[in-house]
Amino acid sequence: MLNIIKNMEKDTACFALEGRLDTVTAPLLESELKEALPSLSVLTLDFAKLEYISSAGLRVLLSAHKAMAGHGSMKLIHVNETVMEIFEVTGFSEILTIE
Amino acid sequence: MNANKEKRKGGIILQVATLFAIGILATGLITFISQHARSDANVRLQAEVRSAEIANEVDLAVREYPAYRWLLNYWYEHSGEMKIEYDVDYSTGTLTEDRYQTFIGRNPGVQLKYLGVNELAKLSEEDRELYAEICYTWLLSRINQIKQIYHIDYLFCVLTDEPYDSQFFLFSGADPGSVRGTNYEEVYPLGVVVQVSESQQEAMKSACEHESHLASAGGYVDYYSFLCSIGEHRILIGLTYSLAGLSADIDAETWRGTSFAIIYQVTLSLLCLVMIYLFVLSPLRKVQKNIRLYKNTKDSEQIEKNLADVDPHNEIGQLSEDVIDLAKELDQHIERIGAITAEKERIGAELTLASQIQASMIPHVFPPFPDRHEFELFAVMDPAKEVGGDFYDFFLIDDDHLCLVIADVSGKGIPGALFMMISAVILRSCAMLGRGAAEILTKTNEGICSNNQAEMFVTAWVGILELSTGKLTAANAGHEYPALKRADGSFALFKDKHGLVIGAMPDIRYREYELQLEPGDKLFVYTDGVPEASDAENKMFGTQRMLDALNGAPEASPEQLLRQVHRAVDEFVKDAQQFDDLTMLCVEYKGRKQA
Repeated sequence: MLNIIKNMEKDTACFALEGRLDTVTAPLLESELKEALPSLSVLTLDFAKLEYISSAGLRVLLSAHKAMAGHGSMKLIHVNETVMEIFEVTGFSEILTIE
Repeated sequence: MNANKEKRKGGIILQVATLFAIGILATGLITFISQHARSDANVRLQAEVRSAEIANEVDLAVREYPAYRWLLNYWYEHSGEMKIEYDVDYSTGTLTEDRYQTFIGRNPGVQLKYLGVNELAKLSEEDRELYAEICYTWLLSRINQIKQIYHIDYLFCVLTDEPYDSQFFLFSGADPGSVRGTNYEEVYPLGVVVQVSESQQEAMKSACEHESHLASAGGYVDYYSFLCSIGEHRILIGLTYSLAGLSADIDAETWRGTSFAIIYQVTLSLLCLVMIYLFVLSPLRKVQKNIRLYKNTKDSEQIEKNLADVDPHNEIGQLSEDVIDLAKELDQHIERIGAITAEKERIGAELTLASQIQASMIPHVFPPFPDRHEFELFAVMDPAKEVGGDFYDFFLIDDDHLCLVIADVSGKGIPGALFMMISAVILRSCAMLGRGAAEILTKTNEGICSNNQAEMFVTAWVGILELSTGKLTAANAGHEYPALKRADGSFALFKDKHGLVIGAMPDIRYREYELQLEPGDKLFVYTDGVPEASDAENKMFGTQRMLDALNGAPEASPEQLLRQVHRAVDEFVKDAQQFDDLTMLCVEYKGRKQA
């Protein structure tokens, strides 16, 4: 299960994710981001309540990261230990902006 | 089941017939009650008319005597002195006949019966007495006649005064042979005075005021009719007769009416049932029969032909048309399903084939190198779907170098499998060129990134074991930490250096590390399907449970170790569906033994 709480203001958006970002829920985030991304210059993803991220979730983050790299920036905040470990293992911590 | 179906066949007719039967019974009952009430009223009316007729006849008989008032008064006043001959039998000659002759002899040319009051006044006292006595006998004969003709139980004439609490009997009709007297069931003679009951008093009062009164009670009709007044006295005609005969009439009439109503109802009901059968049940059965036929044959054209003659203008006709339409649609649907199923089967067959190709691509014969004793190796790949995104690989690059690969594609099913194939092929090609572990990953990343439109990526761990020395050179592209067991220790995660997953970004340079394996050391690598296997409550298996499973019997062979972990995962997830691929590889370094 995944809840996405969107908070958008002009070209700045904050998506707070709640639950699990896995094969089942990743397409949901993907379609939400696809819709919002072109008009954004700053995208913040709040992972405070994200319990788990699978490789499908990582793929969505990677796509978003690449898309944002062209015309703005994307950062992740409040990444918890479990998710951080996944980022480190997969090497994503090296390319993503995590605060 | 069939017996039930047969039973249901007579259903509607039986139900309707039962309803009709109940209706007929109810109608019969209602008809009976209303008929009875009407007949009763009829009979009462008849009784009244009849009573009035009888009373009228008596009235006429009395008024035939012009001096009837005088006569009635005389009889009343001289009741004790009169020499009366009751109930004469004319066939044997009578005393009255003689007295009539005497009267005629004394008053020749006088018509006795039609004497008026004025003429009476001219007669002697003796003749007037004779006149009164003869007239009494004559009138009584007439009254007796009337009584007998009408079968009246009692027919009488009384004199009464206000407040009508007693009756003075003037004359009473009798049947031949009945006894005159004042005892029970005897016919009262002239001059008997009777005290009456309150109800009779009421009846007499009513008759005096309204000319007549009818009261029926206890199977008898009591009737009083006002005749005339003489001074303060009131003269009333009374009659009483039994209703028994009339009751029989009432019953007969009631039964006739009721049976007519029932016969009418039964006829109508039968007609209705026949109509229901012809216009509803029979076509309905036809439709039903054809539905069953369709169930067996799935031939919509046949049932359309069979149902062509069902009248299309009523509901059954519409039902029949609907059934035909439904059958046709079903036919089309079945056809479509058939095509879809065939397509599905084809895809299924292709998937099976794909899965076989995938399985055959990676080494799956164990032991893989029976003539190599420096190491023992075992691996499993258990995809969540027919084809998976995980894979392991191992092969000898040359006589002294064993290459180990484990990788996990970020996707499952066919896309994952295709991506896996490409990755595996590129990885193997790079390795076969004799490059180092890091370089293999770097080259593979370049190859995949050059044309990665699906934006998929793959995590991979590559290790090259130098069999002669036990030196392992490895590199990790975002893959899980390997678990290492030293000969005298237990399994623990080896936190190696990590690079980014393959396919994410171009131009990534991977770094490699070296690890010295001693004989007896074991290395266990796996994909995230193992630690992330989840139970029904979404709790994950985790690396700790994995290590515990490995350390349950750390000295076991690689094959047994993998089975151990697999069993532990199965026990943990229980009934939850296996969601991710489960791929593991374990190698034990045994060292080069001196021959």
